[in-house]
Amino acid sequence: MLVRKTLHSLTGKLLLTIGTLMIAGSAVFWFFLFKHQEKELIGSTVKYGHSFVDYVIKSTRYGMLSFQQLLIQQTIEATGSAEGVLRVRIFRCTGKIAYSSDKKEIGTVVDKNDRACRGCHAAAGGPQMIPTWSISRDNTDTRVLNIVQPIMNEPACYTSSCHFHSADQKVLGLVEANLSLALLDHSIRQQGIAITLYILVFLFVISVVLCTILWNFVSTPVSLLTQGMEKVAAGDLDYSLDINSKDEMGELAKAFNAMTADLKKAKQELIEWGNTLEKKVQEKTEAIQRAQDQLIHSEKLASLGRMAAGVAHEINSPLTGIVTFGHLLLKRFPAGTQEYEDTEVIIEQANRCSNIIRGLLGFARASAAEKAATNVNDVLNRSLNILRNKADFFNIKLVTEFDESLAMVKADPSQLQQVFLNMIMNAADAIEGKGSITITTRNKRDNANNFVEVEFHDTGTGISDENLEKLFEPFFTTKPVGKGTGLGLAVSHGIIQDHGGKITVKTKPGEGSSFFVTLPSLEE
Amino acid sequence: MKKASILIIDDEGIVRTSCSRALSPEGYEVKTAQNGIEGLKMLETERFDLVLTDLKMPDMDGIEVLGKIKEKWPGTEVVIITGYQTVDTAVKAIKLGAFNYIEKPFTPDALLAAVAEALEKKKR
Repeated sequence: MLVRKTLHSLTGKLLLTIGTLMIAGSAVFWFFLFKHQEKELIGSTVKYGHSFVDYVIKSTRYGMLSFQQLLIQQTIEATGSAEGVLRVRIFRCTGKIAYSSDKKEIGTVVDKNDRACRGCHAAAGGPQMIPTWSISRDNTDTRVLNIVQPIMNEPACYTSSCHFHSADQKVLGLVEANLSLALLDHSIRQQGIAITLYILVFLFVISVVLCTILWNFVSTPVSLLTQGMEKVAAGDLDYSLDINSKDEMGELAKAFNAMTADLKKAKQELIEWGNTLEKKVQEKTEAIQRAQDQLIHSEKLASLGRMAAGVAHEINSPLTGIVTFGHLLLKRFPAGTQEYEDTEVIIEQANRCSNIIRGLLGFARASAAEKAATNVNDVLNRSLNILRNKADFFNIKLVTEFDESLAMVKADPSQLQQVFLNMIMNAADAIEGKGSITITTRNKRDNANNFVEVEFHDTGTGISDENLEKLFEPFFTTKPVGKGTGLGLAVSHGIIQDHGGKITVKTKPGEGSSFFVTLPSLEE
Repeated sequence: MKKASILIIDDEGIVRTSCSRALSPEGYEVKTAQNGIEGLKMLETERFDLVLTDLKMPDMDGIEVLGKIKEKWPGTEVVIITGYQTVDTAVKAIKLGAFNYIEKPFTPDALLAAVAEALEKKKR
């Protein structure tokens, strides 16, 4: 598995290719070098062989000329006994062996196809009469160099006293020497081994160097890069490659780091974008929810208004009777009597009913406002003037911070006054008659729309979350029975809504509350 | 001097009774009608200084009654009684010539004050 993996890796492929090329190259180099060496060696051996044959001819010349056959035979035997010389023979041109270092074959006749004769006779165009050589193998499979040199006729030969040779003969015979190539082959083999060894060492050294280079400059950075890629793929975008070389690998690492950084940035942007989107969706959902709540609330108020109108109409008449007859009865009893006091209770309670009805009617009234350009500051001042003289406000500090440049609003002043009075009286109740109420007016701008905002801030106990939810519900009150109808804020809400504005609350339990009444500014 | 005569038009018996019981002891001559048609019929035969009429009544409402009275007897003052007052109907009533309006439930004193004021104006 590991071997297969290594073979398939870049380094493996590179090593395999270079290795194969080097081995092939070395083999070819080795082959040609070896062949060349062999050729050179054989060439020089042949040269020496010829010299040897030449020497044999020259040594036997005297014997030939003086026709001393024994001397010739002795010389042949002597030369044939030299080291490396296997056999020396002299042929007549008839193919008869005249002399030989191997005495047994003297007198034997060979035909033209004999190796000794072939040199001249086999060549096209007749005998060449030049020295030839060939290599054969003996029965011990040792290579043998056969040198053949013709003995040319010359005047000294045919003028000799023996008259053995006639003058018209061109070639008198030939000398053949069989020289052992065992030594040569041995040295060739030795040389071959040496060359092979050198090449192997060379291959090994080159391989080691190549492997080191590949390992350091390719394999290690590539595996680091792969590791980095895997980390990045797994989501670790903080991973940075530590390859500082100035080559392509360094460039690649730099590009990789830049890419990772870009990827991280892009991912972060994506996440941020996703978060923003989620937030926006949440905001929109909340806004829709709020609008829906508002709608339900408005619908509730509207139906309550319709009902209130009907109820008011029906109940006010009997109430008129109760109040009128109560008063008539009151006149009949002397003040201070039990009857007088009881009647007073009847009238008081009837008035209470009447107030509830009046509150309920606020809903019905809200739809029939007489709207005109109104200065909110003026309405607030009028409302405050009404309240200042009330005993409930003697211990309350009323602070006003009015914006003199406050924009006008389109509103029904009496309805606005009703709302403001309600707000201030609620604030007074919240601080239980002691503390301060701050009323601030200001111009506001929101989404290209201009608003007038009135803030009623009290230093009371604040409103609990639980109560905050029900704040604008009709009949919700925290005041003791008989003190509040729970309609004030609901009616105010209805009125302000009818004016295109809204009432919002900011409260901190224990630190007081702020009610904000916002109304759209009248465009100039 | 003879005290003023007042006609009360209201479909609710208790309102008619309340008004007459509050006004009669003060010396006013009080007559009542159950609806607008009956009231107008009485006006044909009798002269009234002041008419107190309810706003919401079956058949003919207070505004219509007011219109008819102001058309035929411009000298007669009208005060609207309403248990369902809205600003626009009140404004409409005043425009049509009603002297004032009074909201139910009212106290005898408030009624007397409104009546006295209306009659005071008539005198002038």
